[in-house]
Amino acid sequence: MSSNHPLIRVTNLDLYFGVFHALKSVSVDFHAGEFVGLVGDNGAGKTTLIRVLCGIYAPSNGEVHFDGKRVTNFHPKLAIDQGIETIQQAVGLCDNLSIARNFYLGREPVKRILGIPFLDFNKMRDKSTRVIRTFGLRDNVSADDEVEQLSGGERQTVKIGRAVEFKNRVLIMDEPTNHLSVREREHVNELAIQLKEQGLLVIYITHDISQVHKLADRIVIMENGEKIEDTQADAMSLEELEAVIRHGGRTVEKDHMH
Amino acid sequence: MPSLAIKPLVRRHTEIGIVLISILLVLVFTATSEGRWANAYNIGTILQVTATLGLMSLGVALVIGTGEIDISVGSTFGIAAIIYLWLAVRVDPALAALVAVAAGAAIGAFNGVLIARTGTPSLIVTLGSLMIFRGLAIALTSGFAISIPYKERGGFSYFILGGDKIYNVNTGLIWLAAALIVLTLMLRYMAWGNRLLAVGGSVESAHSRGVRVNRTKISAFIICGLLAGLGGVLEAGKLGSADGSMGRLMELQAIAACVLGGCLLAGGRISLIGAIMGAFVLSSIQSYLIVMSVQPQWFVLLLGVIVVVAALGVRSLRRWALR
Repeated sequence: MSSNHPLIRVTNLDLYFGVFHALKSVSVDFHAGEFVGLVGDNGAGKTTLIRVLCGIYAPSNGEVHFDGKRVTNFHPKLAIDQGIETIQQAVGLCDNLSIARNFYLGREPVKRILGIPFLDFNKMRDKSTRVIRTFGLRDNVSADDEVEQLSGGERQTVKIGRAVEFKNRVLIMDEPTNHLSVREREHVNELAIQLKEQGLLVIYITHDISQVHKLADRIVIMENGEKIEDTQADAMSLEELEAVIRHGGRTVEKDHMH
Repeated sequence: MPSLAIKPLVRRHTEIGIVLISILLVLVFTATSEGRWANAYNIGTILQVTATLGLMSLGVALVIGTGEIDISVGSTFGIAAIIYLWLAVRVDPALAALVAVAAGAAIGAFNGVLIARTGTPSLIVTLGSLMIFRGLAIALTSGFAISIPYKERGGFSYFILGGDKIYNVNTGLIWLAAALIVLTLMLRYMAWGNRLLAVGGSVESAHSRGVRVNRTKISAFIICGLLAGLGGVLEAGKLGSADGSMGRLMELQAIAACVLGGCLLAGGRISLIGAIMGAFVLSSIQSYLIVMSVQPQWFVLLLGVIVVVAALGVRSLRRWALR
């Protein structure tokens, strides 16, 4: 599977939003070439945790190490530069910009004319067109169309296509199959597996327990901002997994059985 | 179906409304004023006002593009005019202009940094600077006007800084044209513009893609202050004098010009040429009221009505185009 040296190491991570304790002393390791399923109920802290990993939130306490180096500044730009691509839920696309402009937002390719860096529209258009075609967007959708005109599924497809195109070392997917048809879901899941096999770390958040049980090497379960379980996927049956999520931890589950 | 072809056009070019309004107004004003409005001298005056108000509107449009607002530009305009006039008789007028414009940029930076770093709404912060710098302008002039006698206003610097005309058109218009070209290139053809509009479209999405949101907003406020300062210099260059009330209420005209020109106050969608057309329409209306001997007080009332109607008009036009 992977080396002992984790690509991302999270140690005693705390995050407060005002007085709300969103992450409570979370410690977890992620390795290159690993597919980790991150599951838990709504409000468990899954999205909050990955938003720290991709630089959107800075932790209140605790440490994050990336590739052995301690992360001291948190900003999405730094995470992206380090090779962490994220498919966010709800955010990631600006409705008022075209697909091509969204595709390259924050990393726009430029062509110098008289030394002035102008946007390289040909590259932006060509590459984003190729990607949206590969990912099966309707033929009448052009890379010049504003995202505002796209359906929920098409938006999700653009985000996935972009993340896969710029894939580097880590791909974080937050509910990637939302808004997608059954066929599209299968395609996305196959892609995630392929990327893992290419040596990427894939962190996959979902509510679909049976799906993640099949896909993931390892499953991390969160509840109320805490990590309550961290196990190899094949060490637990689907039923056990569901029970843990429903009752919050193995010990509680046993209590219920009395 | 003609509407099928028009809808995408309206979607992409929010300034279509203002173009139609301008054509209509020019025709109506020309037809109803018996030559008092549509003559070379009056059009020249309208274009001079358009130049200074237009520069201010361009800057405000950029700030609106990020989803913020700057209502302090009228005071920035006044401060820059006073600095320019005070310095122009003491040092080279070109250097005086540079200092005045830099002061405008500094006010913009003050606004931008405060808004970005503290997260205070821009309406509140710029309301504060509107009053601070208006107060300063009044204090500096202590109720009198600063002026440069006409005979001292020779030389190229005075000429190019709004002090004279080329073919009946004030030289201020050159600066407006230059600003329009440079900013259009920056906004549509450079990464800076892509990020600016992304911030206005969705701060969270832009941030998640690695855009430095604060930096982007601050840059828009700096350019806004700089252009308001330049407008103030050109107006001072034209008039040769300024008092503490110079530029008062102009911030409202600039915002109105932007709204008329198809800039969405919610951010993310702006038209630079639209903002300039908006400035042209407002100065045309103002001039029409003057030549028709309507009391100038009516202008402010009319301005308010226009803003409301234009905002509703732009909104329904967009809704129609998106349907």
